[in-house]
Amino acid sequence: MVKLHPSSNETGGVMDVASAMMVKLIVKVMLLICTYWRRMEAMSKQNANFAYMKSGMPGYVCEDTENLRLCSVEKLASINQAVLGIHGVDVQFSGVNFLESLVSEFSPSTSSAMSLPREFHEQCRMSLEKDYLKTFYCWAQDAAISVTKGIAVSNTEIPEVKVCAAALRLMFQILNWDFRYNTAGTKAGRDAFSRGVRAYSSPKKSDCTIVQPGSAWRDVLISSGHVGWLLGFYASLREKFPGGGYWLDCPLAVSARKLIVQFCSLTGTIFLSDDGQMQEHHLLQLLSGIIQWIDPPHAVSQAIENGRSESEMLDGCRALLSIATVTSSIVFDNLLKSIRPFGTLAFLSTLMCQVVKVLLTKNIDDGTWSWEARDILLDTWTTLLMDKSTGGTELLPPEGINAAANLFSMIVESELRVASASAMGDDDDDPYYLQASISGTGKTMDERLSSYAFIARAAIEVTIPLLTRLFSERFSTLHQGRGIVDPTSTLEELYSLLLITGHVLADEGEGETPLVPNTIKTHFVDTVEADKHPAVMLSVSIIKFAEQSLDPEMRASVFSPRLMEGKFVLDIIVRISVTTLLSYPGEKDLQDSWRELANAFANEQTFFMLNSSNQRSLAQTLVLSASGMGNSGASNQYVRNLMGHMTKYLVQLSNKRDLRNVAQQPDVILPVNCLLERLRGAASASEPRTQRALYEMGFSVMNPILVFLEVYKHESAVVYLLLKFVVDWVDGQIAYLESGETASVVDFCMRLLQLYSSHNIGKISVSLSSSLLSEAKTEQYKDLHALLQLLSNLCSKDLVDFSSDSVETQGTNISEVVYFGLHIVTPLISLELLKYPKLCHDYFSLLSHMLEVYPETVARLNNEAFGHVLGTLDFGLRHQDTEVVNMCLSALKALASYHYKETGAGKTGLGSHASSVKDSHGNMQEGILSRFLQLLMQLLLFEDYSPDLVSPAADALFPLILCEQVLYQKLANELIERQTNPAFRSRMASALQSLTSANQLSSTLDRMNYQRFRKNVNNFLIEVRGFLRTMNKILQSKGKPSFSEHIIVSSGLLAESNLVERS
Amino acid sequence: MSDEEHHFESKADAGASKTFPQQAGTIRKNGYIVIKNRPCKVVEVSTSKTGKHGHAKCHFVAIDIFNGKKLEDIVPSSHNCDVPHVTRTDYQLIDISEDGFVSLLTENGNTKDDLRLPTDDNLLSQIKDGFGEGKDLVVTVMSSMGEEQICALKDIGPK
Repeated sequence: MVKLHPSSNETGGVMDVASAMMVKLIVKVMLLICTYWRRMEAMSKQNANFAYMKSGMPGYVCEDTENLRLCSVEKLASINQAVLGIHGVDVQFSGVNFLESLVSEFSPSTSSAMSLPREFHEQCRMSLEKDYLKTFYCWAQDAAISVTKGIAVSNTEIPEVKVCAAALRLMFQILNWDFRYNTAGTKAGRDAFSRGVRAYSSPKKSDCTIVQPGSAWRDVLISSGHVGWLLGFYASLREKFPGGGYWLDCPLAVSARKLIVQFCSLTGTIFLSDDGQMQEHHLLQLLSGIIQWIDPPHAVSQAIENGRSESEMLDGCRALLSIATVTSSIVFDNLLKSIRPFGTLAFLSTLMCQVVKVLLTKNIDDGTWSWEARDILLDTWTTLLMDKSTGGTELLPPEGINAAANLFSMIVESELRVASASAMGDDDDDPYYLQASISGTGKTMDERLSSYAFIARAAIEVTIPLLTRLFSERFSTLHQGRGIVDPTSTLEELYSLLLITGHVLADEGEGETPLVPNTIKTHFVDTVEADKHPAVMLSVSIIKFAEQSLDPEMRASVFSPRLMEGKFVLDIIVRISVTTLLSYPGEKDLQDSWRELANAFANEQTFFMLNSSNQRSLAQTLVLSASGMGNSGASNQYVRNLMGHMTKYLVQLSNKRDLRNVAQQPDVILPVNCLLERLRGAASASEPRTQRALYEMGFSVMNPILVFLEVYKHESAVVYLLLKFVVDWVDGQIAYLESGETASVVDFCMRLLQLYSSHNIGKISVSLSSSLLSEAKTEQYKDLHALLQLLSNLCSKDLVDFSSDSVETQGTNISEVVYFGLHIVTPLISLELLKYPKLCHDYFSLLSHMLEVYPETVARLNNEAFGHVLGTLDFGLRHQDTEVVNMCLSALKALASYHYKETGAGKTGLGSHASSVKDSHGNMQEGILSRFLQLLMQLLLFEDYSPDLVSPAADALFPLILCEQVLYQKLANELIERQTNPAFRSRMASALQSLTSANQLSSTLDRMNYQRFRKNVNNFLIEVRGFLRTMNKILQSKGKPSFSEHIIVSSGLLAESNLVERS
Repeated sequence: MSDEEHHFESKADAGASKTFPQQAGTIRKNGYIVIKNRPCKVVEVSTSKTGKHGHAKCHFVAIDIFNGKKLEDIVPSSHNCDVPHVTRTDYQLIDISEDGFVSLLTENGNTKDDLRLPTDDNLLSQIKDGFGEGKDLVVTVMSSMGEEQICALKDIGPK
């Protein structure tokens, strides 16, 4: 039996060191017991071993297991005594610490795992939150109050300080708790004032939790004057050590400030629904305390520069952020007005301007406090300005707009100074100077810029003209100083301005076309003429600047030669043209200027010098430009003219008798590569209008492609290009093809596949270099990836078909074709290759598509191919990637439900594949469905998987159970029998019972039943998975075979033979 | 793009040149390059900018295709590099002789007996074991700059 105070002869006074140590030890032991207790009790539930526990720890075990584990009244009372300081300061300190550990142990996010089901942790959490947390808080409060007097009068470090700090920490920890219960109605109670949780993804980084303990806490936290006491306590101590900068960093001060900041984020039903007055009052009280830390800003920053600790100032900023999180900008602004002549926004602006000023005087390397303060304050602005419903900018009161405008001009000024200073900096990381220097320290450049944009948009009427003015100033400086002054620093300033302006004018679109932000739309409405609109004027001045690069003289004197370096420029021009051609297809001017380029591209050798991606994109653009021509005849003729030379060249080359000898020469490989890239680019520009010409283009090179595949079989780059061209071409064409054309394309694809397969099957690369080997593997992977894409593209003919053939016309049977293709390709796919995520993904999506759409063809596959397909399926089921497993499960579902439906209709279904047979060695081989049933049961019950998989797994399990009812019964019985504990045994039995019978489940495979079964599986898993897994671990630790192992042994491994041989 | 511009015939026997020049900026990953007079395969290219107004340089990391050693080189992107001719030829494996030479069947029916087995034990055993099991093996011989080596083998036995 453990007692809390070791001997009764210690009455009052300070305990000696030895007994203090003892108390610490005892508390440690208690903590251990507590932890251990939870573990033991969880075990005892399963082992019915409760008697042992009781005898082991009399008096500490509560009969009421549903209540919390530390419910021993006796123990709680003794902790209470300890915390109140009845047994002296050291016991008190340890008691408080004990409670803190307890709180963190009972929060699921910080508790030790103990290999118990989550259900258990959740119960612990609920019990603690409902019954104890508030009590603990009061104790901590009492403990803190009990020692404050001593601290206030004493001038030396006394043990009470430790207690007080610990108590404050405990309170902070408790307020940090993720409150779940008793907060019901929070949503209803959240009025316009308490904005509550702002559920948006914003560029802010500093995390700011929201504290919502619910109305039950009102008396303790709000009405009791607790906050006032806390602020008073901190303020009095602060006064006591006016000069002592060190004091700000001592644990007591730190935990007091943390707690105060935490109070700032208090919200929810803890406040009366009185239009936010109560919360406003609460915040005002806090702010009037906190304002001492940060006001006046210049004096505070001066003091910090003189060596005072910055932690108080930073906490002040954090408090502002917290307040901003729980209020609207108007309420936020009003808070300060009652105690200062200015609003909170104006103050925030002044504070941040001060911080930015300090930043400017600093080197990048030091001055971290100003970085940090700036980031927190930026977050505060973002929080205030971002409208949570629309993601737009919130409206500010007039003084707020002024404040934002002032701040923004300060920010721009500082950014410009930084930029111009960086111009002469070290050349090495110059272009990335800003990003690199900043991302290491805090927010990334982008995050910062979008915060700036919010501030700018809050005062849009001032900031846009400001940006325009600054931009044109720099621009004219550039002009005047041409040839005389080094333009570098002005260019850097312009760059920085462009970055800021871009963010102000538009949100980041991430590839989408950005819209004009609402703020810009709603302002300047009185501007009638478009070219007088400030935003337009700003944009125009930027475009004018860009235009300068067209002036050769300007280019020579101002711009870096790098700006005009070949391929990037070409790439950008091509991309602009694609967009232009797609957006304005009818423009005559565009057509004419392109014709010249098209001619040159088709006929001139110099274009071979371009790199491959340019070849492709150029061809694509040129073909796309045809879509805008007057009629489809002209478009097709244009494409024929453009591509005709190229196909003719390839055809002639492929017909050369000495091709084999010359093929490897660089001056042959180069044009072949280039032309294939171009064909690929053209193929990917397929549009209905030019489809005919592109079909002819591909058709004419079908034979050459097969010839090249043979000749260049060792040139992996060429092989890949050939495959990619066919993939893109088929992708663009297949939907339009008439039946005759489809047949010839399909035939061509099959020949291609066979040829590729004959070159590569059974091929082993040997090389001394492991990286060359892995290169070879990567090439193989890329080829196969392309082949799978080809098969998928062929597949799509069944789904999307624009040909004029009527449905009745007997066209090519696509399913046959794809299966034939799969036959060729699957042997090439080894388990090794399936480790490439993309390939794996494509393979399984093709496979699951095939099995769902054409299950009858699968049944006709020969044994070897069938085994291979299933082997990969087995591999996929154990894959890490949820999506892959998902696809395997749907494949399995398709397979099993096909078999069930067919056999139900008196047909063979999967036939011999499904039934058990003896293999060549005389061993009994189980049917594939029974193997998968066992595998799936084991997966569901014992293994770790994403909860997203439960539904698809249920969908696969249902038909499997229906197919293999006998085996399922056997497995179910085994599961029940393995439970030694009668309680679990009956739980298991009834769970299994309701799995197959609850919700009026019947044995037909329709949508209703699948839904019901999904529900049943969910309930089943919730009921039994926790204890099954725990028991399984215990059994394993005792060396007994677990269910899962048992199953593996009894079922034998899946058809791995084929795969293992190949891989 | 007429035929006159391409004189395949005249260059058909131009095997004399072991390498050809190519601009450094146009050599890509997976291409070939000569570094320190060895034929290499490029596994990594990075273009470095030496300064705001300087010229780009290409940094090649490449692997000797015969001995697997890693080599590196830095070349200004506008300069020419030597690129080796690399050819691969398939031969049927007829015999492995005691002294470490292989006997290969060429396309026109002659035999080629001047090629040594690789010295690396691993590769050696892959070839020897396959041959020992009586499989029909085709070996691919890679040759460049006067060197030859077996680089792949394939079982073409009846399936």
